[in-house]
Amino acid sequence: MQRVSLVLAVVVALALVASAGSISGKVSGVSGKSVVYVDTIAGKIFPAPAQHPVMDQKGLLFQPHVLVVQEGTTVDFLNSDNVQHNVFWPSISGDKKAGHNLGTWPKGEKRSWKFDHAGVASLLCNVHPEMSGYIVVSPTPYFAETDASGAYHIKDVPDGSYTVVAWHEGAKNQSKPVTVKGDTTQDFTLTK
Amino acid sequence: MSKQWRAVFFGAVAFLAVVIIELATPPRADAIPAFSRQYNTSCSTCHIDFPKLNDFGKAFKDAGFKFPTDDESMLKVPPVMLGAPANKELWPHAIWPGTIPGLPPIGLRFNSYFQVVGKSRGNFNPFLPLTPTLTDPSGVPGFVPRTDFEPGFFSIFTAGNFGSDIAFWVDDDISVGGANKNGTLGDGYLRFVNIGRFLRLPKDALTFRIGQFELDLPFTQARAYDISPYDIYTQANFGATNALFPQQNVANAFNFNATPLQTNGVEFSGGHNYGGYHYSVAFVDQNTGNPIDTGTFVPSATGGNNGGLGFFSDSNFKDIYSRFSYRFNLERNPESRHSIQAAGPTGPRDHTYIRLGVYDFYGRSAQRFSAAGGTTLTAHEPFYRLGGDLDFGYHGVFNIFGLFMYGRDHNLLPVNAEGALLPLPLPADATVAGFVHGAAATFSGGFLQADYLVYPWMMLIMRWDSVHSTGDLLNGAGFIGGTAPEFTNYPLPFSSTRNRYTPGVQFLIHANIKASFEYLVRPQQAVIVNATTGLPVQPFRVNAATAGLEFVY
Repeated sequence: MQRVSLVLAVVVALALVASAGSISGKVSGVSGKSVVYVDTIAGKIFPAPAQHPVMDQKGLLFQPHVLVVQEGTTVDFLNSDNVQHNVFWPSISGDKKAGHNLGTWPKGEKRSWKFDHAGVASLLCNVHPEMSGYIVVSPTPYFAETDASGAYHIKDVPDGSYTVVAWHEGAKNQSKPVTVKGDTTQDFTLTK
Repeated sequence: MSKQWRAVFFGAVAFLAVVIIELATPPRADAIPAFSRQYNTSCSTCHIDFPKLNDFGKAFKDAGFKFPTDDESMLKVPPVMLGAPANKELWPHAIWPGTIPGLPPIGLRFNSYFQVVGKSRGNFNPFLPLTPTLTDPSGVPGFVPRTDFEPGFFSIFTAGNFGSDIAFWVDDDISVGGANKNGTLGDGYLRFVNIGRFLRLPKDALTFRIGQFELDLPFTQARAYDISPYDIYTQANFGATNALFPQQNVANAFNFNATPLQTNGVEFSGGHNYGGYHYSVAFVDQNTGNPIDTGTFVPSATGGNNGGLGFFSDSNFKDIYSRFSYRFNLERNPESRHSIQAAGPTGPRDHTYIRLGVYDFYGRSAQRFSAAGGTTLTAHEPFYRLGGDLDFGYHGVFNIFGLFMYGRDHNLLPVNAEGALLPLPLPADATVAGFVHGAAATFSGGFLQADYLVYPWMMLIMRWDSVHSTGDLLNGAGFIGGTAPEFTNYPLPFSSTRNRYTPGVQFLIHANIKASFEYLVRPQQAVIVNATTGLPVQPFRVNAATAGLEFVY
């Protein structure tokens, strides 16, 4: 009986270890923050998170400059400036049908938009053309931003074979096949 | 009054070059990239087709060259504190704390031009022996090239806010092609915004400005974006001196496009330019063209011999300029109507509005004459320029605007001791004993312009200028006798009303680089007068085209 329990415990532990894989590595070739995410997994649909992340407009800047969300997430756009702003994106990863203009709203108010189209939305303001921001919509919940040195870590990735994408503002995307087996390492080198 | 007042509106694209135009002194156009650097924001935050201001730009200017609210959080270059704010509590035992911009807010501008002149440019010199004033002593006529590249201005301008609602502006043309090669100071002033707060007046009801500045004209000339100036602004008032017609002793060089374009004095103003009322009252030096003493023996505030550079007013009188306008923003939603910019479905945009205004300039020209006994007699001739203006804008995309002006100068004719009129211009040995009233010298005119923003980077322009001046017509008729046609001393207008039509187009290559094109259909002119009637015959037009390229940074 004790042996059975021990075997069961080992099996459970192994199972837990198997589901707690991660992908980490470094994105080089560019400076500043990048985004790394696991691309669409066939047959897998992930429930959208309930929490609404916030994209603010403050000091004539989109803050944060880059926001990564899971597909299906609703983002709240806040205006914290005493001037009128506008938020629009001409497309999402080139798909102009996914473009949208949220209009204008006064300070302290926000407008929300559900991003149910994976890709990258370039945020613009039509009265302050220098304002720039990005919303990276990941098709899976497995994504991370790099730190200042370019290092990233995506945790809780189940073992398996995936396509992993690295994105950086102004650079060409790079996709690589990655087989996750526990802690897995994958580096990217991006070019402009 | 001219019978030819009618609105002309074109919505089609103006076409480029092919004709000529004598290039009038190009107006200075001041978009200030220093603000762009201070706030790290694009020129188009404040400008439509720089330097034309959008509603936010007008509010920025009204507020003293800062964001109307929450300016501190918008500045990306923090100002330098000249004293901690707590010093306010110590005043008068401490200097009131102010600020200076963290980096010198300097903008630079350069433009250059190309013009093409047509065949009729030579019409002014067709008959050399009969127009000696147009030739040099060798008998060779003057030459006007068909095409010409021309440098424009290289200008430096700086503006900002010193805290405590004290704004400043200085601009200077460092080099100027043509007659003013040494350049000239444009505006240089301090502006104390909202000083009405000390009198418990409503916000922005009273602002004070002192220095050298362009008058608060309905439409600026100093910062206009057209290549050619508004003709009515360039109109001085010289009365008829032709001996064949009743003469007028009026020689008033004042005009709203004088070089420099600015006047020296003080101004009180209030209200806003982006909605509601706006007024201004200015008291400025008179300068109608009489010789000004350089002050060799009288010290003055600024440098030079014996402590003075001299004086800038040719009369004791201080001219008065006043203006009142009201702008109606036409949005239905009251919150949108009263905001600086309207809230459109795709973002903020300029209001749809209509603005009506009136203005008046009053001065008293002084002409001095030698009188008996070595004394000097002065003819004080009051004059005024008054009119109304209209401005309609739609969503910042379409704008039609214009003004009308009427000018009148009192006319005092010199007489000799016997009371007989003295001929004009006065002979060298004439002695003036007094003056009698004559017919006033008048002129009228205006302009109407339409702008259409086809794209954010492309604007079509169509303008009609009209000036009516009988004095200008008579003065050009020359001195004639006999029965054969005579040739004028210089080109004269064919009619007392001069109409000019100017289509144009402007492109923003970048937000700070602009290419402009204008084609001027200029008023008819003539060089031959009928000896019997004294009126010009055989009119022609000196049409022209000008292309300009400018950049600011």
